[in-house]
Amino acid sequence: MSETTTARPIQEYQAKDYKSELKPIWCPGCGDFGVVSAIYRALANIGRPPHEIAFVSGIGCSSRIPGYTTAYGFNSVHGRALPIAQGIKLAHPELLVLVAGGDGDGFSIGGGHVPHAIRRNVDLTYILMDNQIYGLTKGQLSPTSPRGLKTASTAHGSLEDPVNPLMYVLGYGAGYVAQGTPADMAGLAEIIEEGIRYPGFAFINVQSPCVTYGEEEQQLSAQKQKMQKLKDLGHDRGDRLRAMALAQEYGVQLYTGVFYRNPEPPMTYETAVRGLQTSVSDQAKPAAEILSLFQPS
Amino acid sequence: MAAGESLMTAMAIEGYHAVLTKSFGSQIRGGESSCRLRVSTDRVLNPGGTLDVAVALNWDDFLRFGGELPVDGRTVVIYDSKTKVAPDQLPLTEVTPAVALAVPIQDMARQHAGTDKAKNIVVLGLLSGWFGLAREGILGGIRKKFAKKGEQVLQGNERAFAAGLDFAEKNPLQLDMVMAPSKPSGEKNLLVDGNEMCAAAAIFSGCRFFGGYPITPSSEIMQFLARELPKYGGTVLQAEDEIAGIGSVVGASFAGKKAMTATSGPGMSLKTEILGLATIAELPLVCVNVQRGGPSTGMPTKSEQSDLFQAVFSAHGDAARPVLAPTDVHDVFGVTVEAFNIAEQYQTPVIILSDQEIAQRKETVPAIDTSRFKIVSRQLPNESELQSYVRFRITDSGISPISHPGMPGGNYLASGIEHNERGAPTAKGEIHAQMNEKRIRKLLPLKSRRDLFFIEGDQAAPVAMISWGSVAGMAIEALQLARKKGMRVKLMVPKLLYPIPEEIYNEFFASVKAGLVIEQSHQGQLYRLLRMFVNVPPGVQSMAKSGSNPILPEEVLARLRRLKVRLESGRMPEPEPQLG
Repeated sequence: MSETTTARPIQEYQAKDYKSELKPIWCPGCGDFGVVSAIYRALANIGRPPHEIAFVSGIGCSSRIPGYTTAYGFNSVHGRALPIAQGIKLAHPELLVLVAGGDGDGFSIGGGHVPHAIRRNVDLTYILMDNQIYGLTKGQLSPTSPRGLKTASTAHGSLEDPVNPLMYVLGYGAGYVAQGTPADMAGLAEIIEEGIRYPGFAFINVQSPCVTYGEEEQQLSAQKQKMQKLKDLGHDRGDRLRAMALAQEYGVQLYTGVFYRNPEPPMTYETAVRGLQTSVSDQAKPAAEILSLFQPS
Repeated sequence: MAAGESLMTAMAIEGYHAVLTKSFGSQIRGGESSCRLRVSTDRVLNPGGTLDVAVALNWDDFLRFGGELPVDGRTVVIYDSKTKVAPDQLPLTEVTPAVALAVPIQDMARQHAGTDKAKNIVVLGLLSGWFGLAREGILGGIRKKFAKKGEQVLQGNERAFAAGLDFAEKNPLQLDMVMAPSKPSGEKNLLVDGNEMCAAAAIFSGCRFFGGYPITPSSEIMQFLARELPKYGGTVLQAEDEIAGIGSVVGASFAGKKAMTATSGPGMSLKTEILGLATIAELPLVCVNVQRGGPSTGMPTKSEQSDLFQAVFSAHGDAARPVLAPTDVHDVFGVTVEAFNIAEQYQTPVIILSDQEIAQRKETVPAIDTSRFKIVSRQLPNESELQSYVRFRITDSGISPISHPGMPGGNYLASGIEHNERGAPTAKGEIHAQMNEKRIRKLLPLKSRRDLFFIEGDQAAPVAMISWGSVAGMAIEALQLARKKGMRVKLMVPKLLYPIPEEIYNEFFASVKAGLVIEQSHQGQLYRLLRMFVNVPPGVQSMAKSGSNPILPEEVLARLRRLKVRLESGRMPEPEPQLG
């Protein structure tokens, strides 16, 4: 499409250019305020004009994010952001496509879509705001809630082990896996920007605390005490097995930064599709004559 | 199955018209399969009722199809003498066919071709010999098919065919049943099934994205598009499930492409939530439901028309969406083009209700002049509208110009949550009411689409038939039969099943005292849907039957006669029990 171009001078846009006029419905102090600010910053550094960005979400507190940006947004239905985002990217590969949502949206109702987005390697950046609780529906158990947690739907404490989002996506072969927190805004903006720049499926788990239904030890002040930057630990981001060993500590340690970045990013699905289209384009009959395929012989 | 296809191709090349209906058991591979081939010198409207000729290679398999393969006193039954059944002891209940011929089909195949696989070819020889069918065409087909398998295989099959011909010649039929010569029109007929026709029509309509999941009996639509669409710069995504299939289609449509998905009953149930999303986000898409027997897994390989209620009503909230149904393979082309046009023009999901019968039967289709079909694309915002873009502006028509990502100034939020004209989420009652009104009002012009209603027969007739989908072909034949018998009858076949145009039905019913709504479901879903929206005359009854056994024109004629007798004696027809 002639109206979109990929090369843009950096810093033509500022963070405020990506902020819409809609006022967030989030509770005061919600971690998601920090996440959306980090996204504005990352987008400004990337410098793509808002109309070349499609931002897709499902349902949940965090899924309101696309509306708070000036991009083309799609606040869809619960759990289905990834399939919709893949349809957008495949229909229009020049677009920058972002996906956002919560832990329930991504790993409970929509959990079945995650492996397939990863194995197809569609160039999407999936920002998951993990607060270990269902906030929008007022405090029920989420797929990342720790075992034993008492919630509105688990009066006697949860009887299930949580999903480990980092292991989940590393296991299926995601090419870029990072974790951040609004307790470190600069670090969060940086890993989001890197995820967007990664040419393939990128996953960013954000420990975004729920101020209303979340536990005390998840709040930003506690996170600041607990977080350890992977960079400072000397982690080699090209080492997938080491990344998995660190990811095992999910729920115990709070590591931030890039767990894994595939040093040799494989071909994306949309590039393969484009290659196929090019290789067979000379075989197309004029559309008006397509029925001639059915002449008996 | 292979024999049926070969025979049909040969007959089509010689200028005959034909319909080939395939039916399968539920086995993954092998198992019983049947095909009905109806051939005529004129256009074939439906697969026909009672068989003129039945060939049974194996009685157990033949009988598994029950009423799908009806035999009566006019039928010539040919069967393998290997089955060791005496001609007067056929395992058919209460039926004595006109002729029963035991032929050593398997022995002949082994003797002449050295393999049981050649049984089909022996049968082709028998049919060609006894009924004067396309000898040269069949032989040509055999040569084409087996040439690549080597000289030995080819010669074996040629010998098997000759043996069949020879057997027929030495054992002449005691019946005069020979095919009349064809009436070639000069224009070559196409040979195509409903699924492939649908896929080709989608490409013609400008569809450039398909997302779907394999399901019987719709998978051939995805398979055809996977082969053909990339040639046109399009993309096919075999998604991880039915929901992701339609999800990707909604995404592609949001991104500005014409997009389609296809499925069958269980898949439709799963897609329902996202169909609702497309309605409220006002995104065009086409969703094909190739109906099969339900509920749940039901009968995956058998045709039914029992998903009409689902197509019309299966969304929560006040969602209205157009529903179209083709009547035969030829009609699939126009209906599919229409579905894309309506989806694009009105920014709505459109459901095409095909069925297994249409989807998987092969038909000779007269050449279609594609230049007669107009292609409609969604209305984009103009420069001045993009200055201060209002995505869901409440306009007179209810249609608001739609932008897509990549278009500067068109940025907006699409959403499943209710929104105001600018796309911002809202929980205000008055805005929700306005938006519901807009989304339903924009579809009202469809109620004037008389071209989507096929009406034939005596306009002032007191007796009427209404039928839809694949059953309509049978109803047209019943109409022709009834008129030959001097009955005053008319027929309506709606291609647009929703919204219901009250005016068109009221006009049609004005002369009607009695009639039948004929369809293949247990509940009589169209009949009941019409009663919800239209003052259906009390003498109009439901003639509905679920299951895959065909409704026969003779059955319809008998019901029409009873209605006529009642009318003439001044008594209103009484409701009759459901069929089957």
